[in-house]
Amino acid sequence: MNVVVCHDLTKQYGRSKAIQNMNCQIAENKITGLIGRNGAGKTTLLKIIAGYLHHSSGDIQVFSENPFNNLKISANTIFIDNEMSFSQGLTLNELLETAGSFYPNWNHDLALKLFDYFSFNPNQYHGNLSKGMKSTFNMIVGLAARCPLTIMDEPTSGMDSATRKDFYRALLKEYIAYPRTIILSSHLLDEVEDLLEEVLLIKSGEKCLHLSIDQLKEYAIGVRGKTVNVETWTEKMELISMQEIGANMSYAVIRNDRSIKELEDARQLGLEVTSVSAEDICSYLTSKTKGGIDDVFSRG
Amino acid sequence: MLLNADSMKPIYVQISEWLENEILNESISADEKIYSQYQLAEMFNVNPATAGKGINLLADDNVLYKKRGLGMFVAADARKIILGKRKSSKLHSLVTELAQEAVQLQVEEEELVTMIRDMHQRIKEEQS
Repeated sequence: MNVVVCHDLTKQYGRSKAIQNMNCQIAENKITGLIGRNGAGKTTLLKIIAGYLHHSSGDIQVFSENPFNNLKISANTIFIDNEMSFSQGLTLNELLETAGSFYPNWNHDLALKLFDYFSFNPNQYHGNLSKGMKSTFNMIVGLAARCPLTIMDEPTSGMDSATRKDFYRALLKEYIAYPRTIILSSHLLDEVEDLLEEVLLIKSGEKCLHLSIDQLKEYAIGVRGKTVNVETWTEKMELISMQEIGANMSYAVIRNDRSIKELEDARQLGLEVTSVSAEDICSYLTSKTKGGIDDVFSRG
Repeated sequence: MLLNADSMKPIYVQISEWLENEILNESISADEKIYSQYQLAEMFNVNPATAGKGINLLADDNVLYKKRGLGMFVAADARKIILGKRKSSKLHSLVTELAQEAVQLQVEEEELVTMIRDMHQRIKEEQS
């Protein structure tokens, strides 16, 4: 079953389109990573799914209903980001108790244990927390709510690396114990890829790829060697990226669909064939030029 | 398969190889239940779907068999299957790599064979 179904979804802010004709489905009880560059439309898409924003055209269904202004959706969904506003008049402890009354599956025991583990002071106020502590507190609320649809927008921003690792492990353990649909947006794919089952990659408000993480890792290969040879070998192939990496040396990224014979030819030409990490594939696919940042600095 | 860097192996392949090693060194014996995909997911900090793929890889090779409702168990001839598989694929690719490297370093056939023989003997002695 699909928890989220988007059909030609578009969101316009004034004249600019943040989301353009997006068609995608997010399957139940999977952890999906929403990956994209800054300004690709990740947050807008998540806010539409959570029912925070109204879309401009097209159709969106969450648990088979339109999420905007919808009580059923808001009771079953939690949206965690670093702009979450909590009451200034309540202490952290009171906030946890209040949050519990909103969500039917809320696990207060888990919330308190995590709260202790990360050494929060129950009498402190949310507004006085540091950026990393805020993210950590929000994450605790997100996990303890045990919502069937849990959306986390850059949940680790500001967290130190030990806290991030703890968070990912807590998320995984919670997911195994209580499977739910989780959408995680991040620009650090390297860090989250082991946790994910699927990746939805978006570029300028449009869907770029939607694959399982294993398929994504095998999506492309890189070839490195003398520029002339790289160019000869890739002549009839569609390039994902081509970079000069030194004097007469080039690195090209292509789809991983070459025959054994072709790869053997590459070896004969002295080219080195390598795998490309999921994170690199995503940045090449969402890059606006084929040469990357080097184009800016190239002479002539 | 064509990618040689070992660390570049997909995680599910690494998990299935880890399970194979557990079977080879008899940490898990024949007809014993193997770790569930959820246990593996926790052990390796990966998505349960990825761990499940690692298990399925071994089920496809008949190293594991399924008991309905009970989980996956080690096949009686699991060790034999794994050893055969390793010989034909892993050893073969290691030898190819070794030979290529030797040619590049202009190591003659005699010298290479001596090196392999010496190392083989040393390891066997160390184990006995």
